[in-house]
Amino acid sequence: MTKKRRSVSRDRMDRWPAERIERYQLRQLTMLLRYAQRELPFYRERFATARFDPREIRTLADFARVPSFTKKEALAALKEKEAFPAGLEKLERSGSGALCMTSGTLGTSFLYLPENWASLRGDSLARAYRWAGLRRGMRMLMAAPAWHSLAVQETRVLQRIGATCVIPWGTFLPHYAPHFLDAIMDVKPAFISIFLPMLYALLAACRGKSIAPARAFEGVKSILVVGAPMTPLSRVKLKEELGVSDIFEGLGNPEGLTAMECAFHVGHHIFLDCCYVEIIDPRTGQLLPAGQRGNVVVTSLIPHGSVYIRYDTEDLGTILPDRCGCGRTWPLMEVYDRRANVLHIKGQQIVPYDVRLCLDEVPELVNIPFAVIRSDAGMERLTLLIQKPPSGNLNLKEIETKVSSLLRHRFDLEAKQEWAEELPQRWKGITVIEENEWRAARV
Amino acid sequence: MDQLRARRKAGSTGSFSARDLRALRAKARRRPNDFAQTVPLMTLEELVSAKIASGDPYSLRWKKKAPPQIAFQLEYDTEAALYAGFEPNALNAYADALRRCWSLFGIGRGDRVAIFDYGTSPVSYLASRSFTPYLRRGAADILGCLPVCNDGAANLSQRAVDIVRFVRPRVLFLRADCLHPFAAEIANGSVALASYLDALVVVENEAVVTAAARDSYQAQFGVPVYRLLRADAAMFLAPECARCGLFHIWSDLYHVEILAPDGEDRKGRLVITNWFAASFRAIRYLSQVEAVLEPRGCPAGAKDLRIRA
Repeated sequence: MTKKRRSVSRDRMDRWPAERIERYQLRQLTMLLRYAQRELPFYRERFATARFDPREIRTLADFARVPSFTKKEALAALKEKEAFPAGLEKLERSGSGALCMTSGTLGTSFLYLPENWASLRGDSLARAYRWAGLRRGMRMLMAAPAWHSLAVQETRVLQRIGATCVIPWGTFLPHYAPHFLDAIMDVKPAFISIFLPMLYALLAACRGKSIAPARAFEGVKSILVVGAPMTPLSRVKLKEELGVSDIFEGLGNPEGLTAMECAFHVGHHIFLDCCYVEIIDPRTGQLLPAGQRGNVVVTSLIPHGSVYIRYDTEDLGTILPDRCGCGRTWPLMEVYDRRANVLHIKGQQIVPYDVRLCLDEVPELVNIPFAVIRSDAGMERLTLLIQKPPSGNLNLKEIETKVSSLLRHRFDLEAKQEWAEELPQRWKGITVIEENEWRAARV
Repeated sequence: MDQLRARRKAGSTGSFSARDLRALRAKARRRPNDFAQTVPLMTLEELVSAKIASGDPYSLRWKKKAPPQIAFQLEYDTEAALYAGFEPNALNAYADALRRCWSLFGIGRGDRVAIFDYGTSPVSYLASRSFTPYLRRGAADILGCLPVCNDGAANLSQRAVDIVRFVRPRVLFLRADCLHPFAAEIANGSVALASYLDALVVVENEAVVTAAARDSYQAQFGVPVYRLLRADAAMFLAPECARCGLFHIWSDLYHVEILAPDGEDRKGRLVITNWFAASFRAIRYLSQVEAVLEPRGCPAGAKDLRIRA
């Protein structure tokens, strides 16, 4: 009985008034800090170094005093110990679980995801899949490979909702798109959960096989995409091209963040039952108000497995000042790109998402892959590498003029555009290419 | 396709799903020769033909009205993609087959197990219920191990080295096509593999690396290298035993035969019948694996069937 009451209560949590949410989050955060102090050497050492006492936290504003850390510091802890665990997790003696890997330019880290982590995170995430239309008995295509933290959560989501699923051979890298396309056409899922670069790769695979995307996606009602930001016009064009009812976008990372779109598509609702999100100025570490872009700092509210407290994701994002028309009280956020992909041009900070918004205003370029070429020296103008649109008789000069004019108007910057028949495989899904690599590839 | 039609006409199959599994099992046990002579073979080509002709992604093998709770696209380079569909009981029995493989490799409670293979390989998806919907207990859950996986893409083999160095698994399962790049990464990084793991298991679908290649890698790595044979179309797993050097097969899960060509006495293609996949039949599946059936009697599993491959 108690369990049932709690479950109903959690389901309504996205409509709780702000004060109630704040009380809930503060309670979770203080509990988490005490747990970290007691059980997790990584935090105990950091708190001691910073002379921080978790008992000092009495309000949410106080929480900003907890020292933040980046992936580099988590990796350093792992390297220092020369073996997992690195002190961010307490291994459980009973119950099942898995280790998940995250890789990147800095190195590989490991996250311990025990079963109670998967149930809490998965039950929370199930809400987003319901928003996106997944229902009992529906068939979902699951793109995340078994080992991925999203698959660990989706495993729980599918069972909780009672949906069936098909899993294509390979992995979510664009190279495997033909397998994914076969699975979609053969098994005809009604719901697809996929990484955005793979969705674009599927469109290319359709073109390669001369199949109309709408035919390939016949029967697909909704798509949930993760992994890269999608502009509003990209969504409209993708919906039209694929013939699906709606496309939803999700943000997340295994360290703690879950933020998902509802049918209003005005931002991503932060899942406050599982995470606490702050936006900070990367130079000063100070909290930034809603509406300003900064580094996304996330704290997982789940006291199981690998625990990330004030983890600076080094993603560039913002908490949106507006409330969503859906009536849910969970705030909205956007993530634009990795901080490492920010381009510094003539005193401005621009991310490829901003450029994408301009390209979207040229109908021929909506959803056409592109990348920005970044030079080491101070950049004075934007250099874009754009894949030639598939339709044959296009006046590229005319398109270049339009793009230049839009970029000049938006950023007061000159732009140079280069065209490629197809972006090289190694750069598919990459939005910023370093100039030296680009030159080397052209030699 | 003609062959398929002829078989259907003869009533031998109806569809791949229409056979009475219990009766077949009794027949295979009591009159194995009769079983082999009267039950037709099922080939990969026939599965492809059945799928193309019927439009059924499961090649007419799915027995229930309701669709499978979970389906995997299979790793075959065929004209049309093939799928395996599961209901939870079969999925769990399949995971138990993997658990038995792990046990034979000496994996036990508290061990860490690394898997460098795609998420859609049964070696990965049967490892843990965390990975796969509707799997009640994966091999790691049954044995009390902690699994770690990553995509077995050859160009990402450095990740396998990272897993070995930082996770220190008891055993690393590695896709056969990653062996060479993994060996190169190990050599480049001067990693003494024996300091990190007890054994490496090479995994392949319907093929095995040769014993000579296995021995060569074993000498290079300085740790025992074993092989694990998969035949995904028949949901089949057979581990190479450290004690007898043969592949073990559990007769409560599978029935195997060797289809030796005329003139050959013992060596031939491995034919597999799966007893646990009641809703998704694999009866007398003619695999691509060349093998020899050996007598039972390994101390590591006296009742197990054994093949040399």
